[in-house]
Amino acid sequence: MNGGTQNGARGSKPLIPQGQVLARPASRGLVYGSLLGGFLLTALPWPQTALWLVPDFVLVALVYWNIHAPRMANLGLAFVLGLAVDAAHGVLFGLHALAYCSATFVVLMLRRRLENFGPSGQALQLAWLFLAQEALVLILGLAFGREPDWRYLAAGAVTAMLWWPASALLDRLTGRAAAADAEGG
Amino acid sequence: MSQASHAPMFVREMGASARFALYALACLVLAVLDARYDALSLVRSGLNAVIHPAQQGVAWPFEFLNEAAGFFVVHGELKQDNARLVQERGLLQARLQDYEALKAENERLRTLSGLPVPAGTRRLPAEIVQTAANPFSRRVIVNRGSMHGVVAGRPVVDENGLVGQVIRVHPWSSEVALITDRGQASPVVVTRNGLRLLVSGMGSDSLLEVRYLDMHADVKDGDELVTSGVDGVYPPGLPVARVMKTEPPRLTPFARALCQPLSGVGRHRHMVILLADSTPPAGHAPAPQAATPSAAARGAAPAQAGAAAAGETGRAR
Repeated sequence: MNGGTQNGARGSKPLIPQGQVLARPASRGLVYGSLLGGFLLTALPWPQTALWLVPDFVLVALVYWNIHAPRMANLGLAFVLGLAVDAAHGVLFGLHALAYCSATFVVLMLRRRLENFGPSGQALQLAWLFLAQEALVLILGLAFGREPDWRYLAAGAVTAMLWWPASALLDRLTGRAAAADAEGG
Repeated sequence: MSQASHAPMFVREMGASARFALYALACLVLAVLDARYDALSLVRSGLNAVIHPAQQGVAWPFEFLNEAAGFFVVHGELKQDNARLVQERGLLQARLQDYEALKAENERLRTLSGLPVPAGTRRLPAEIVQTAANPFSRRVIVNRGSMHGVVAGRPVVDENGLVGQVIRVHPWSSEVALITDRGQASPVVVTRNGLRLLVSGMGSDSLLEVRYLDMHADVKDGDELVTSGVDGVYPPGLPVARVMKTEPPRLTPFARALCQPLSGVGRHRHMVILLADSTPPAGHAPAPQAATPSAAARGAAPAQAGAAAAGETGRAR
């Protein structure tokens, strides 16, 4: 309704049909800022007993930008972020890098479909990806002779639950939420 | 960058799958280099030096909150605490005098009998800046690194006992593997009868286990385990764990003992790194090094000589 009245008010210029309000393209600062924010959240001194429940904030931000700014959040960025996470957590080099690269690859393949869903629909579709990503890290570690703690699979589920609030927040920051409202109204 | 989505007639750049395959290959090569050849420690400490300020910055508000909470302490409580601490300090000082006398005597006796004097330790307080979410081991990252003189392999303790071991050193931070880590085994001795054992973590915060215990080994519930010092890395006598339960062999030829760590592993933020003291070897080092081979040659006290040799290899490592 709201969008309709706006269109009516601007009706003096009927040459181009007034469509939806477009979201701003993601700015470089926002993309890198949110990724850095995710990294810092992961680096908080979480309690030792709840570490296996801490979601992967970096991956959430990365997947969000894979969907909405694929030119900036590409495989190269995933690789670099993965290496940084590996170094920060003291895991074998390349485990998170490989997990992030494969997540990015899958999301880039599916992003046209994911774009058309709301946050909750996306969360449902991405849940298996987050789980598979945790499993990939654990299995790779197992392949290299490290004994994994399988409880860390739960972090994948928590990450999927984090998707809804995180993408809602980032939608608001990019103005995509306002665009969606205008379209819906 | 964002307007470049017109389709070219011929695709020049590599397809997504090919690029993904290349990156995946690069990741696997890195993992192999790191796991099999340990070739990336320089890269790792470089990256950690870059990351460290961020870690410290993120940990700072929590520290501040802790301090702010400490500000609102009731005066009476503070006074009570102070009185208790003064009393405790007196007691400890009295005990320390005994300890110093015993240490001096022990050193003299060791020189007399031609045994190497164990290197002294220097205490370096450290604080946890991050608990690494590492699914393969239990580690914390502390705010002391090679710039503060930390060396990989040194033991880390708190006021109650052994906490872990420094396993990687970066310029301003280092990684400590906790004794509850599954891959971390600590050489211990049962205080009651001197039985030497290896106690390892189980990946749980409140349990340790002695994995391959002889079926008839004399280990009972309530036994206290302290470091044996045989490895030459840990100083002898640090409390490690108390035996909670011994399990008879089931399906394996070995029994198992479950123990409870005595230190506050995973509970608090401050710990102490024990560094090798560089001052005593200046005076004592030449004597023990000359003495060790002669003691071994004489065949006197073979057990201790073996221990000393193990100590030397441990230190060399």
